[in-house]
Amino acid sequence: MIEPRAARNFDLVLVLLAVTLVAYGGLLLYSASLSAYPTISMGHPLTKQIIFAFLGVGGMIAVAWVDYRVYGQMATGLYAFAVLLLAAVLVVGDSAYGSTRWFSFAGQQIQASEIAKLLVIITLARYLADRQHQMSDPRVFVISLVMAALPAGLVLVEPDMGTAAVFGAIWLGMVAMAGAPPRYLVIALGVALATIPFMALLALGDYQIDRFRLWIDPASDPLGGGFNIRQAEIGIGSGGLFGKGLTDGTQTQLDFLQTSTTDYIFSVLGEELGLIGALVLFALFTALLFRGIRAATLSQDQFGRLIATGIVIMILFQVFINVAVNIRLVPVTGIPLPFISQGGSSLVMMFIALGLLEGIVIRHKRIEF
Amino acid sequence: MSYFEGRRRWRSREAKKERTSSGRSASMTAVMRGLVILLFGILVIQLINLQVIKGEEYREQAEINALREIPIPANRGLVYDRNGTLLVQNAARFSATIIPGDLPDRGEATAYRMISNVVGVPVSEIEAKVAEGIENQGEFSPAVIKGDLDREVALTLIELEPHVPGLHVQVEPSRDYLTGDLLSHILGYTGPISAEEYAVLGADGYLYQDYLGKSGVELAYEDVLRGKSGKKLVEVDAAGRELRVISERRPIDGTNLVLTIDIELQAAVQDILAEYSADSDNAAAAVIDVKTGELLSMVSLPTFDNNLFTRQVSEDALAELIESPGKPLVNHVISDRYPPGSTFKTIVGSAALQEGVASTGTTIVSRGYINVENEFDPNVIYVYRDWAPLGVLDFYDGIAMSSNVYFYYLAGGFSDEGFRGLGADKVAEYARAFGLGSPTGIDIAGESDGLVPDPDWKQSTLGETWTIGDTYNFGIGQGYLAATPIQMLRAITAIANGGTLVTPHLVTKYLDSLGNTLETLTSAATTVPVDAANLQIVGEGMRQSVTSGVARNAAVAGVTVAGKTGTAEFGAIRDDGTYETHGWFAGYAPAEDPEIAVVVFVQRGSGGSDASPAAARIFDYYFSGGGPIYGPGNVIPVPGPDPADVPEDTATPDATAAPATDIPEPTATPAGEPTASPAGEPTASPVPEPTDPPTETPGQPPPGTPTEPAQQTATPAATLPNERRQSGGVP
Repeated sequence: MIEPRAARNFDLVLVLLAVTLVAYGGLLLYSASLSAYPTISMGHPLTKQIIFAFLGVGGMIAVAWVDYRVYGQMATGLYAFAVLLLAAVLVVGDSAYGSTRWFSFAGQQIQASEIAKLLVIITLARYLADRQHQMSDPRVFVISLVMAALPAGLVLVEPDMGTAAVFGAIWLGMVAMAGAPPRYLVIALGVALATIPFMALLALGDYQIDRFRLWIDPASDPLGGGFNIRQAEIGIGSGGLFGKGLTDGTQTQLDFLQTSTTDYIFSVLGEELGLIGALVLFALFTALLFRGIRAATLSQDQFGRLIATGIVIMILFQVFINVAVNIRLVPVTGIPLPFISQGGSSLVMMFIALGLLEGIVIRHKRIEF
Repeated sequence: MSYFEGRRRWRSREAKKERTSSGRSASMTAVMRGLVILLFGILVIQLINLQVIKGEEYREQAEINALREIPIPANRGLVYDRNGTLLVQNAARFSATIIPGDLPDRGEATAYRMISNVVGVPVSEIEAKVAEGIENQGEFSPAVIKGDLDREVALTLIELEPHVPGLHVQVEPSRDYLTGDLLSHILGYTGPISAEEYAVLGADGYLYQDYLGKSGVELAYEDVLRGKSGKKLVEVDAAGRELRVISERRPIDGTNLVLTIDIELQAAVQDILAEYSADSDNAAAAVIDVKTGELLSMVSLPTFDNNLFTRQVSEDALAELIESPGKPLVNHVISDRYPPGSTFKTIVGSAALQEGVASTGTTIVSRGYINVENEFDPNVIYVYRDWAPLGVLDFYDGIAMSSNVYFYYLAGGFSDEGFRGLGADKVAEYARAFGLGSPTGIDIAGESDGLVPDPDWKQSTLGETWTIGDTYNFGIGQGYLAATPIQMLRAITAIANGGTLVTPHLVTKYLDSLGNTLETLTSAATTVPVDAANLQIVGEGMRQSVTSGVARNAAVAGVTVAGKTGTAEFGAIRDDGTYETHGWFAGYAPAEDPEIAVVVFVQRGSGGSDASPAAARIFDYYFSGGGPIYGPGNVIPVPGPDPADVPEDTATPDATAAPATDIPEPTATPAGEPTASPAGEPTASPVPEPTDPPTETPGQPPPGTPTEPAQQTATPAATLPNERRQSGGVP
């Protein structure tokens, strides 16, 4: 399906950046697991992470190999599958931390929304690409919104506010890229902001309200839900400019940080590697995202451009929300840090997303010969 | 749907106007790049805020998190008697505590349930105590769930400790009072610090779970006994487990104390007093070194076991102690005041000699009473009685026979015969000079001031004019006057030692843990404004009282005892016209070179037949029964109640027989004869307890009415000796 000469266009930098991020995350994983796993073994989170990284790279190459337009043809089926997955997880999924997000499969926990995000990006890209000359038609705008809102709503029921917000960001970024009139975008943003208070009162359960309250004032429950917020803040703040050194952070090593290998892995980085370590991380992500934006510009068609846009927005917002939770800019919501956090489904799906980007880059400018 | 109808591969349609589309695309690329930079920029700004600007603050908090300061309690000082017998030792007390900050994040309920099952405290109570602990001392200090655990419960909990984060079994030093009820009023006890005490003492390093002295020596010498607790700085993980000790400061153990009390004498005095106060609600006795003010014994009955208070006191046991008529928790030696009765005549006598009102040759005839006209109505005549018509009395006889009439003259004068007395103000002045009306300054808390009345006091307090009758009553230690046994002991001590008013005290030395003396305590002393020669005359009167007067029951073979009895009336008049009485004895020995002074007080008893023989037994025990009990050069041994160090003065049973044979037989003399009744000295004017003074109005006869003398004088001799024989144990 791929012409050999096209492989020259393969974006190696993009993959190297991703692998560097995984390696960087591996260091943090090692440090964060030190108190629970003094030695490296098969069961060590780092070992699992490396295995998943290889799986992910394999998946990336496979996904890149297939012409991405094939996925466009399958869009309806993929969308139906995504919605089914999100609905099913609510019924048969596993719960943790008050939220139902995971399927158990072959001893691994698979987060349904990780898969659904990519499928919805493909579906939206197909729909918007087909209507690129009708973008000023309000119906197109509204239908695309409904397409994103259905999975987002299901995710919100889990409840997983963060991922729902990522769905929203993906949709907004993609319709903007597709050429929706700016006034629509302004109206959509305005409506979204205006409904937040009502959402909080009506749709959200005690769970979210509780989290919101703790975000404002972690001291209101210093030993309960507020503990983590407070300890993460202390950990990052105490890291200072250069950090306390890998494996030398007291907050991390003395177990004051909870879920320090997943949602709060950035706190480990902040404490042990300091502001400099965080800047390195942001630099890597910025480079990675710029390569993703490059893929969008190189794309031979609107469909590829929109997929690349969706993926860039997805990664950007996941990074932003995850770090913002760690440094108490937004209320707690469980979103993994892409390529860094421990977690198989997230890591594999991130590489598959890169596979889509590579597929787009490889197939740009057919007029080369 | 159109997506799947194409035969060929689906392609998205290319934009017709390539330029506009790519223009739009290019600007969107810039927007997206800008968005990436913007969002990361927001994160970087917040990171700089946290890590650089507030970094120091967070670093401190991280340290507070990881480092925990754990107090190491100091051993409380031990207490010895004057001969080195250990009286108090430290024991371990286990308490179940929770460090709220170490409780599992969402597993508090499980932890509470497990603790509740073992300790038996309901979960709701545990929750309340944890909440209270957090409020009072923060989440990283232990909140006590239950103190004083049984050993087995404690051991079960200690096994549970590693599995229940937050649970800590605290092992605290407790007190074990080895002498039980013998020294409860002196040693006092320790108890958990109260919220009010913590508010005051928290700044001095007391912790919320500390125990401190609550009464007696434990309270008075708290600062000395307490020592200084140490602390260690440990690194802990989030579950509160200690990982390593970073630094440690050893505690400084409390200083050991040596009491002035001789525990053997104390035991003897308690036994003797109990024997002579079987019918009383309470009784008190004390023995003092007349030269130093050291209290060799101080007994208040009824007593209690202060070990009760080292455990958690049950409500019932406490209520019983508080409601018991004898008020066991009250130290009657220092905290309760009574009319001193005739023991006060020693002070009036000293004053009269010093003021020139009397001399050894002052002779007064007691016909058994004196009459005083009402100053407004000469037809109303008040009668002030003696306890018997004692006849011609010189100064020595006045004291020895405890003549009321003699002291009516000395205190109030007698205008019919032109005899000028001291007057109420002078009597009050000397009473105060001998230490009445103010605390003696003994080194434990709870002293009563007593009361020395005077005309100004009566006017301002009762709104009544002082009468000559008040002066008469005052002169014989009745009326409004009230004194504590320790005050009377101190006053008598001044007569014994030639005028030095010592400060009674209970602690003589501070020792370090090796038994070396750190400091020897002496107490301040003042002088009474009476010449030694005059005091000697009073002393001679007291000596005669024991040899041939009303205090003959206090005589001891081979010991020259000088003393003064008192039988003070109190309460309301009885159907037979008499009053209930308190029995007093205050005296010293040997008369020629006084060594110790003794006071005995028997509630609802008599001075002659209860207090005097009790005092005799105490003197006898001290001077012969127990051998040379104390003296300089006693070595205080290193901690540990080694029987070899205890003087072998266990002759109490033998001592009891001796005084009995020396006491004059009260029943041998005919009833009605003054000498027959060693203690029958009822006063002319019955006066209720000083706390509730009678409201006399001028013109109305005071309690001592003209109709009563015959009956009054007859009763003591007729009825009381029989009673006393029984209660006093005199053959």
